[in-house]
Amino acid sequence: MEPTRIIYWNIPYHNLVYILVIIPIALFIWGFIRIFRLIALGKPDNRLDHLGSRLKDKLLYVLGQWRVFKSPLIGIAHGMVFFGFLVLLVGTMLEALHVLFHLFEIKGWFYLILSFLLDILGFAVLVGIIIAAVRRYILRPKYLDRMWEDGVILSLIALVVITGFIVEALRIAVLKPPFEVWSTVGWTIAPIFEGLGKSSILTLHQIMWWVHMALSFAFIAYIPFSKLRHIFTSPASVFFRSSLPKGELPPTEDLEQAETFGAATVNQLTWKDLLDLEACTRCGRCEDACPAHASEKPLSPKNIIIDLRDNLHRWGAKIAKAGDEGPPDDALIIPTSIEPEELWACTTCRACMEQCPILIEHLPKIVEVRREQVLMQSAFPKELQLTFKNMETNSNPWGLGWAERGKWAEELGVKTLAEDADVDYLFYVGCMGSFDERAKRVACDFVRLCQRAGIKLGILGGEEKCCGDNARRAGNEYLSYMLMLENIETFNAYDVRRIVTICPHGYNTIKNEYPRFGGRYAVFHHSELLADLLLDGKLTPCNNGGKPGRVIYHDSCYLGRYNDIYAEPRKILEAIPGVVLDEALQHHRKSFCCGGGGGRMWLEEEIGKRINEMRMEELMGKDPQTVVTACGFCMTMFEDALKAKDMVGQVAVKDIAELLWEAQGEG
Amino acid sequence: MNIIVCVKQVPDTEAIIQVDSVDNSRILEEGITFILNPYDEYAVEEGLLIRERLGEGKVTAVTVGPSRSESALRDALALGVDTAVHITDEGIESADPFAVATILSKFISSLPHDLILCGRQAVDDDFAQVPAILAELLGLPQAMFVVGLEIDSQDMKCKARREVDGSHEVVEMVLPAVITCSRGLNEPRYPSIRGKMQAKKAEIPRKSLADIGLDVESAGLASPKVKVRSLGLPPSREAGKKLEGEVDDVVKVLVEELKSRKLL
Amino acid sequence: MARNFWVFAELSGSEFRKVAFELLGLARKLAYKTGGDVTALAIGPIEESNTAKLGHTGADHIILCADDVVKDYSTEVYATIIADLASEYKPLAIFFPATARGKDLAPKVAAKLGVGSASDCTGLEMTDNQRIIFTRPMYAGKIIAQVETSGEPQIATIRPNVFPSPTPDESRKADVERISADFGEDVIKTKILETIVGDAEVNLTEADIIVSGGRGMRNAENFQIIRELAKVLGAAVGASRAAVDEDFISQPHQVGQTGKTVSPNLYIACGISGAIQHRAGMSTSKCIVAINNNPDADIFKIADLGVVGDLFKIVPVLTEELRKEMG
Repeated sequence: MEPTRIIYWNIPYHNLVYILVIIPIALFIWGFIRIFRLIALGKPDNRLDHLGSRLKDKLLYVLGQWRVFKSPLIGIAHGMVFFGFLVLLVGTMLEALHVLFHLFEIKGWFYLILSFLLDILGFAVLVGIIIAAVRRYILRPKYLDRMWEDGVILSLIALVVITGFIVEALRIAVLKPPFEVWSTVGWTIAPIFEGLGKSSILTLHQIMWWVHMALSFAFIAYIPFSKLRHIFTSPASVFFRSSLPKGELPPTEDLEQAETFGAATVNQLTWKDLLDLEACTRCGRCEDACPAHASEKPLSPKNIIIDLRDNLHRWGAKIAKAGDEGPPDDALIIPTSIEPEELWACTTCRACMEQCPILIEHLPKIVEVRREQVLMQSAFPKELQLTFKNMETNSNPWGLGWAERGKWAEELGVKTLAEDADVDYLFYVGCMGSFDERAKRVACDFVRLCQRAGIKLGILGGEEKCCGDNARRAGNEYLSYMLMLENIETFNAYDVRRIVTICPHGYNTIKNEYPRFGGRYAVFHHSELLADLLLDGKLTPCNNGGKPGRVIYHDSCYLGRYNDIYAEPRKILEAIPGVVLDEALQHHRKSFCCGGGGGRMWLEEEIGKRINEMRMEELMGKDPQTVVTACGFCMTMFEDALKAKDMVGQVAVKDIAELLWEAQGEG
Repeated sequence: MNIIVCVKQVPDTEAIIQVDSVDNSRILEEGITFILNPYDEYAVEEGLLIRERLGEGKVTAVTVGPSRSESALRDALALGVDTAVHITDEGIESADPFAVATILSKFISSLPHDLILCGRQAVDDDFAQVPAILAELLGLPQAMFVVGLEIDSQDMKCKARREVDGSHEVVEMVLPAVITCSRGLNEPRYPSIRGKMQAKKAEIPRKSLADIGLDVESAGLASPKVKVRSLGLPPSREAGKKLEGEVDDVVKVLVEELKSRKLL
Repeated sequence: MARNFWVFAELSGSEFRKVAFELLGLARKLAYKTGGDVTALAIGPIEESNTAKLGHTGADHIILCADDVVKDYSTEVYATIIADLASEYKPLAIFFPATARGKDLAPKVAAKLGVGSASDCTGLEMTDNQRIIFTRPMYAGKIIAQVETSGEPQIATIRPNVFPSPTPDESRKADVERISADFGEDVIKTKILETIVGDAEVNLTEADIIVSGGRGMRNAENFQIIRELAKVLGAAVGASRAAVDEDFISQPHQVGQTGKTVSPNLYIACGISGAIQHRAGMSTSKCIVAINNNPDADIFKIADLGVVGDLFKIVPVLTEELRKEMG
């Protein structure tokens, strides 16, 4: 007998299935139409550019499960379920094609391989589900919550697979064809049923077959109404991922023309933002990576997404229907779905987005809501008001007189472009380097290094403005827009081509955000330039008595996660004799924020622990002699942490430029 | 309730002030960022708060100053005042407090006014005189350095809490009255983008002295009652001794120094 | 009574403020030069016996008005009394203290008399033709101006603590002219309902010693060590704008361009970097002590005594040391 199996063996009225299946499919379609309609409430956003890289990402992140596997245990479990389901789906479709259209026969070796694969992968699904259940209900990592849909989904999948195996086993128990040893799982459990007697087995087989069908139908119907929808929405969210540079916030409405800014209600987010909400599976990796959450702030990036989704589901239809009166007050994102304390706790460190397996864009949503709060409501923590005003009047957050911006450089003989525009690089110093006593020393050492290496720098002095990063991430698009435009106008007036800066925030915003406003320059962070100068032999560090010893480099968010600059600062440190470079517990893309980004630098941190102190404690755990940063914000936050913890003197906090300058011999 | 807020544009408090070498009774304006006088922000905010609390009323901002002062009015408009009026004329920038008060009183008396709010002083010349002279010229009561204000629009009275050196007083006055606002009275708001955009586009009527029925003579511009003869830099302070070392030693040296200077 | 100098002798409660004597001393010096008299205007709830001090410190005449109507301060009543007297006696100059009262009163009196006034003066000089050139800070002390007022009397408010308080000469006696004031209800447009006496530590303008804290204090609780030092020294407590903005301490403590301008004998700045807008408010202090852990802080550029170090270690030791010193 040629190996095959009789489809619908022992199932009378099996054609009923084709009628009954209409119910789950109708529910499925209706459910997705509803989701589609909700997503369509969002504002337009072109996400069809760069199709090639979109398809590549889809392969990488969806079929490759690239980010999912970065968390090994659940990565494997999810992989088992994902690939298992994929193969089961293919198998089922092949059978359907065979039954409906008789395009081909499923028999012989083809049948055996298919049967074997289906059994093994069905088993893999079961194992995956068990791992997932153990993790969720027994191991209970704290970023994972338990909602009833989780239990329903896990049980449903497990039951579909188990009943499938039972049906198979019952069939094998009656027919006992020897080739069915390839239907490994069914073959293995078939003997259990052999004692029942043929007629009972036949009845049980019929019952189990219908139960299996019913469960499968339930599964299909449940997809759009539970996080199972991610089977479809997550690949979509990956496909429609942002094509902006990681460091660029999505642009806002035309500031001169638009009537509303930012998002007061969910429909003022983009459709892709809303798709993200439907794509999230509450895996909690973003929450696990979030410094605000780790320091006991009310913010969890996961909850932002979930709460916005609940808002969309609860209010979406009503918002769509609301006419001129506008949406009901309860539909407002703030405070219905997000508390102000959550909104302002974000340091924009990007750890959440770096972790999300399906590339959900948390930050643009947070900033979009901040924009509405700042621009429309003037509602923001009161400390920020002074910061904003200071930036407006003196273009620095402290409000120090702008005319003194270039004063730090006087003794070094650095000229302004107004005095001499023929330079190798414009040194964009930034507010920190210009006004902060500590960061001024970094600026000075960087200038000295360049002078030693024969690089001619020019500065803008009083013509330099705040880069706009802090204002932008704090939601004050208007202010950042003014600052950016003023800088671009000045840069362009001097025909600036190359810019080097010691501030990762300025670096990021000038490099990634200025182009949209007409400012295109080759932008370098000082770590890039210094690493090049070392490579070219223009700087030669030597050990001139100082012993840097054990050094830990802290990855700044805006340098690392935002711009993938991890290697250059480490290269510089490794080039310094006497440096023993160690890594922090959390480093590179998993680096933990200093707490100073996204405007947080200017806000009190009153809830929970202090992020800078947490990070400093973590770094101190490695017992370094020096903590090295490449960012004035991080440096200030760490020095503040040392002061607050009464640990001043126990460890030095230095910039890479300072360490490199110390290692320059005399003359 | 018709609320008049008198504002002034002043150099930013962080600005470096230099004396004009040609005319040493003036400062060099080049390179200075001008802002709405910080104390006037409290006056504007109080006007807006009163309007909001009463649910009715009109807040009018008025300034007397050169063309550049218009931006102070735009700031006030961005914050939410209903209208702004710019009184400007040749030579008006050198008006002394009496002249400014004369011009303001002439203009204000032509408008319905129930309450006149000013900043406690302008942080440029620091005269702190205009409100008192204005009150006298308009025959209105005044309360200076106010840090708390309650308006009774029914009986047209107000209660003002004012700062007196080392203490506070609560005074009751009949309206209309002149109030000068001090820090602590309120927390000025941050303008919304809508406010900023409207202010940017707003037409601000300019009135000359003739428009309000004055001339250089009658406005007091021709014969100032306070005349600045010259401006100069304060005597520079030299850095003195720096004490460094162990805490106990440093403190001992410090106490000895203070004793030798008879400061204890 | 030609070429007279008048001084408004301000009260605090029923006692004369220190600044009243400072102004009498100043007026006395000018009167020696020009050969004129000094008249003290004593208005308010004053016992006649209490006015002797005004004579001891420089007054030749005292005009005393202690009627019920002046028991409480009223701008209108006080200004009318002074303006009426001035119209009658035509003094050469009237000096008011640059206190809240003085600043309330002086421009009002000047307006009534149709003359100008100079505010918040820190110095003056008299020309041969008896015009007074006042020295006054502008732009909160970034600029020093020489100003004069038109007409007579020449009116000014003079900053407390700038001119020395004269040593009382008990042999000096002043004649007292009692005047009565009669005003109808309609004149009194302001009525004091309540006076809330604040802490001595807030009375910055007249304080001999001020201890101030800045951003370096880091939080409100830490201000306690400033308060303790101030208590030992009998000093007022000041603060920089940063400290007030961050809510470490309330606004009335603020020293600087948008706060109070002070010139105490001793100003101790703790954790204050010395931004220009703060320096503007205190740079006329006679002796500035700065305690800051940043050796490059701007405050050291104007400090007579600069202590580089951790204020949280230094200030408590200093407080202890001074406590021993002062007994």
